Amino acid sequence: MRTWRDVARYHLVVPWAPLLIPWAILAGSFLVNLVIFALAPDGQHTVVTSHGPVSVPNATSGYTGGVASIYIVFLIIGLNLVGRSLPFALSLGVSRRSYYAGSAALGVALAVADGLVLAVLQLIERATDGWGVRMDFFRVPYFLAGPWYLTWLTSSVALALLFIYGMWFGIVYRRWSLFGVTAFVIAQLAVVLAGVLLVAGANAWAGVGHFFTGLTAAGLTGLLAGLALLLLAGGHATIRRATV
Amino acid sequence: MTTAISVSGLTRRYRDHLALDQVSLEVESRSIIGLLGRNGAGKTTLLRILAGQEFPSSGSVLVHGAAPAENEAVLRRMVFVREDQTYPDFRVRHALRVASWFYPHWSAELADALLADFGLPAGRPVKKLSRGMRSALGIVIGLAARAEVTMFDEPYAGLDAVARQIFYDRLLADYAEHPRTILLSTHLIDEAAGLLERVVVIDRGRIALTADADDLRGVATAVSGPMLAVDEFTAGRVVWDRRRVASRVSVVVVGGLDEADRLRAGSLHLDLTPLTLQQLVVQAAAQPADTLERTSA
Repeated sequence: MRTWRDVARYHLVVPWAPLLIPWAILAGSFLVNLVIFALAPDGQHTVVTSHGPVSVPNATSGYTGGVASIYIVFLIIGLNLVGRSLPFALSLGVSRRSYYAGSAALGVALAVADGLVLAVLQLIERATDGWGVRMDFFRVPYFLAGPWYLTWLTSSVALALLFIYGMWFGIVYRRWSLFGVTAFVIAQLAVVLAGVLLVAGANAWAGVGHFFTGLTAAGLTGLLAGLALLLLAGGHATIRRATV
Repeated sequence: MTTAISVSGLTRRYRDHLALDQVSLEVESRSIIGLLGRNGAGKTTLLRILAGQEFPSSGSVLVHGAAPAENEAVLRRMVFVREDQTYPDFRVRHALRVASWFYPHWSAELADALLADFGLPAGRPVKKLSRGMRSALGIVIGLAARAEVTMFDEPYAGLDAVARQIFYDRLLADYAEHPRTILLSTHLIDEAAGLLERVVVIDRGRIALTADADDLRGVATAVSGPMLAVDEFTAGRVVWDRRRVASRVSVVVVGGLDEADRLRAGSLHLDLTPLTLQQLVVQAAAQPADTLERTSA
């Protein structure tokens, strides 16, 4: 456990990369959207009818999807952090197991902390009527639209999932470089294709559709958590025999 | 004396070549061992396996009585800084700070002194360091860690003669105060000879020779003089290398020479020159394996 903590500190020895980059990028995305919303006419659009142009309120409100940028950044941080710093850690007598556990623990801790900030920002967004311009930056319909604690939970799980996924890519690259990453992506596509063929073969599309329409955001979060555990196990199996 | 490292029948096979071939080796704790051999002889592979960075194809490795691979109890007592060590994107002081967290006996004092000795700027990004500076950083980490098993792989690639001397002096001084097991692979054999207690020569993945450094100093002698006299003197002895220039011949005789031998050589007007460690290693590496085993026995 002590070693885990030291591995996490090792990743944070230059702290701005994992701590600030996600927010710097998110802030950039936020500002761009804010400017667009401030300039755009408010919540309605013009439809030309036989009686001339008529102003109609927008069916959906101002969803941007801009919050997705932080999830992508988590993937990249996971990928970048883990592959590059493995050799020096092994030089200092850290086992691969501890290195992996410490790195994953750091990713989960960052996800939980940043998930909380996202939930708080979403509360502010609601309280200020979309930052004064009716923009839903931190609210994503269905996925991140419930109470603040559910937003916290769902974003934490999703951020952790992407960090862990990124780590796995980093380890695959460390072991087999670009060729390995290509094979890794192809293998994942093959898994998806196999799933599609299986569903199609069993004529089960209706069932799959019902499953997803019946799924709540909380249920989906549970599903993502399960997937994260699966990816965590995959990364561990890959790092076990990695050499430097 | 207890055994720090015990290797037996260690083989590491890569797709098309045998990096290590049935290597067996015992290293006593609290000693300085030189791992000598040519490029590609298998020195780095052996050290990587000892440090748990690489896995053996077969054979066993024990460090302090346990296999090091993924064994934190053993690994945490070791440090292994490589010639081609890669670091994350950070600065010299970050590398030292991180290293200090992993070693209970880390000496910040020694690290600072070494930084000053080598003129290593703490604020410089590691990837901006010259080759010599990178080597110096590895040396600082390896020494300041004060790990029970300290391994250096070609620690002074790119370092100038003054910096190398600093390394030898600091290593010996710190070793005297904090004895530990130090494994050092190197090409600069004669330079390092003064600090090595034991020498292991690896050649093409096999152990060519293991001996106490002191024992090796008189083990081979170059004998030169008129051909007939040399032939008379070397009759019945193991002879390694024979060179002829005009009527003079120079050969390397293996095995110690006693006082009677020296007197006889003098009366035959032969020149005797003991082989330096480096010459010995070069000679040893050129011999077929069975000759070597006879010598090291």
